[in-house]
Amino acid sequence: MQDICEQYKDFSTRKLFFIVLLVVVLFGVVLIALSQGASSVGFFESFKALFRQKTGLAHAIVWELRLPRIVMAILVGCGLALAGSVFQAILRNPLASPYTLGIASSSGFGAVVAIIFSGSYYSQYLIAGSAFFFALLASLLILGIAKFKSATPETMILAGIAIMFLFSSLSSLLQYMGTVEEVHEIVFWFFGSLSKVGWKEIGVASVMILLPVPVMLRWSWDFNLLAAGDESAKALGVNVTRIRMCGVVFASLITAAAICFTGVIGFIGLVAPHIARMVIGGDHWFLLPASALIGGILVLAADTLGRTCWAPQIIPLGIVTSFIGVPFFFYLLMKKKREYW
Amino acid sequence: MKKYIVTISILILFFYSLVSAEGITGQATERKSIRIRDAGGRFVEVRLPVKRLVVLTSDALEIIRALGAEDLVAGVYSDIAEDPLFWPKLKDKPKVGSWKGLNYELVVELNPDAVLCYAQRPGRDMEKKLKPFGIQVIRLDFFKLDNLEKEVEALGRILQKEKEARELIAWYRNNLNQMREMLRNVTSRPDVYIEGDSNYHTTGPGSGGHCMCALAGGHNIASNLSIPYPEVTPEWILMRDPNVIVKVTTRSTCDTCYAMTGVGALKNIRNRIMARPAWDHIGAVKEGKIYVIANEIWTGPRAIIGTSYLAKWFYPDFLKAFDPEALHKEYLENFQGIKYQGVYVYPN
Repeated sequence: MQDICEQYKDFSTRKLFFIVLLVVVLFGVVLIALSQGASSVGFFESFKALFRQKTGLAHAIVWELRLPRIVMAILVGCGLALAGSVFQAILRNPLASPYTLGIASSSGFGAVVAIIFSGSYYSQYLIAGSAFFFALLASLLILGIAKFKSATPETMILAGIAIMFLFSSLSSLLQYMGTVEEVHEIVFWFFGSLSKVGWKEIGVASVMILLPVPVMLRWSWDFNLLAAGDESAKALGVNVTRIRMCGVVFASLITAAAICFTGVIGFIGLVAPHIARMVIGGDHWFLLPASALIGGILVLAADTLGRTCWAPQIIPLGIVTSFIGVPFFFYLLMKKKREYW
Repeated sequence: MKKYIVTISILILFFYSLVSAEGITGQATERKSIRIRDAGGRFVEVRLPVKRLVVLTSDALEIIRALGAEDLVAGVYSDIAEDPLFWPKLKDKPKVGSWKGLNYELVVELNPDAVLCYAQRPGRDMEKKLKPFGIQVIRLDFFKLDNLEKEVEALGRILQKEKEARELIAWYRNNLNQMREMLRNVTSRPDVYIEGDSNYHTTGPGSGGHCMCALAGGHNIASNLSIPYPEVTPEWILMRDPNVIVKVTTRSTCDTCYAMTGVGALKNIRNRIMARPAWDHIGAVKEGKIYVIANEIWTGPRAIIGTSYLAKWFYPDFLKAFDPEALHKEYLENFQGIKYQGVYVYPN
């Protein structure tokens, strides 16, 4: 018994160490991102501008252009990874992500509706609001179907896939109806970009992404028990239906907040939880923060690479995240000998 | 002797007239099809006469109207209904689809001689599908100022409106030459940042906007980039510190700028650009040299009007007497047969 306790403590310490390591890596990537850009504001100048200067060009570059981009990248990465972890836990499915359940495609449809029909009222907030509304609508549809039938993972995933196809087709229909310029705008939105975010957008997104986090962490033990199956979880006192329903709503809220200002950034919601799970296992108390940090690191690294390696042209974020994430994911998948899921 | 001379002369004349008549007949047979170079650079044979046309793009339709060939249009793109004021005679023609694709059954039913569309869209399968019905596909873009004259000339030959095509080309040439002449003595070119509808997406080499900027005597700050419509970082724009910013937009309060009466929508777009983070450090923002221009007079048959506005904005002192609005009015009233109205730029 003593041995098991010792082993558990040891394992927990290692997990904690991994999380601390991720924080250090994230901090390192932030430093690199802060010192890179088209201007001559380098490593030391950016810190001077960050802490000492109150006005001037360097101050404006760091505070108005680079820092919002960095903060939003971390927020979006953390949010998508967190939502992915929750979806995978409540649906007990390794393929679950904000994309599998149609949340991203419905959000994309919301953006397309705003771009096509807004006319002069077209603004980033209108696109974001519409994307957010449709993401929530998709999650409510899934919930409705689940409530009517039963909240089993199979029902929810099948409903999610149906919704994904429905909204993808609707987006395609509107794109087909759009003018050349509207189609361009839609394509760019689906690529994902952090260029258009400022502190105001960060304020809105951070509230929506960070508010559900304490609830998620509080449910981490219930998520662990869900892995053993619905019957076992119920026997151990978990209200499976409630946690599944609320989980879908919270994860959808986080997803919608993460992508409504930046466009569709694929893959992070699926891969970040898997990377974390491969390294530290399936205990959600550690898994949730670890996958959030991995998501933040991946998106920030991808954005920094995307805006610097072919400067001043930007390689869209949605493309670079896959370029970075896929090889890393394959590496871990090949290295892992035992089945981790 | 005199009799012989007269008889021989008559015989010579008779033979000559026969030969000439045969020559004309031969020419007529040859002219049943002409060879043109389309917008994709391919040489294609077009059977004449082309008396019924289905047109999938507004750019082509504008040129057809300028050539006085409106009566030949049998079918149009469906979005024309959104711009009824600009197309008073064509708005009720049968709608067959868009620049991206068309309803083949509707087109076949209209029985046109040809379908006029862009070089790239709809895809090449359109030729295969329409060939069995004897319908030709003519691909002409009319959206790049570089190729505009050649394309107008080709369409003039196809529609047998060569004279009208020559007049339109002459109008383009005269105005371009006049602008070049006015800018001849200009020594320093202003740095210009051009932004499309999507924020931070500029126009690089290979785009119509880049070509217009150069024609108007500006230096496009994205001229060294490698793709036509790249997204760039706001920090790079800040560092290049452009003297003039041009925002091209399709957004208006009405469906089109032709129906617009107030400058409010374009003014809002300009205000939003001026309020972008850290942009108060850019020279163009400090001096208020931010101009919003509607897509209608950007690349396309009216690119020359857009280019004239650019020149006026780049060199306000040089071109004090130059009036792009008058040029636009002349084009709409003389070549399009509609009255001048609408809001196309802000500030004017």
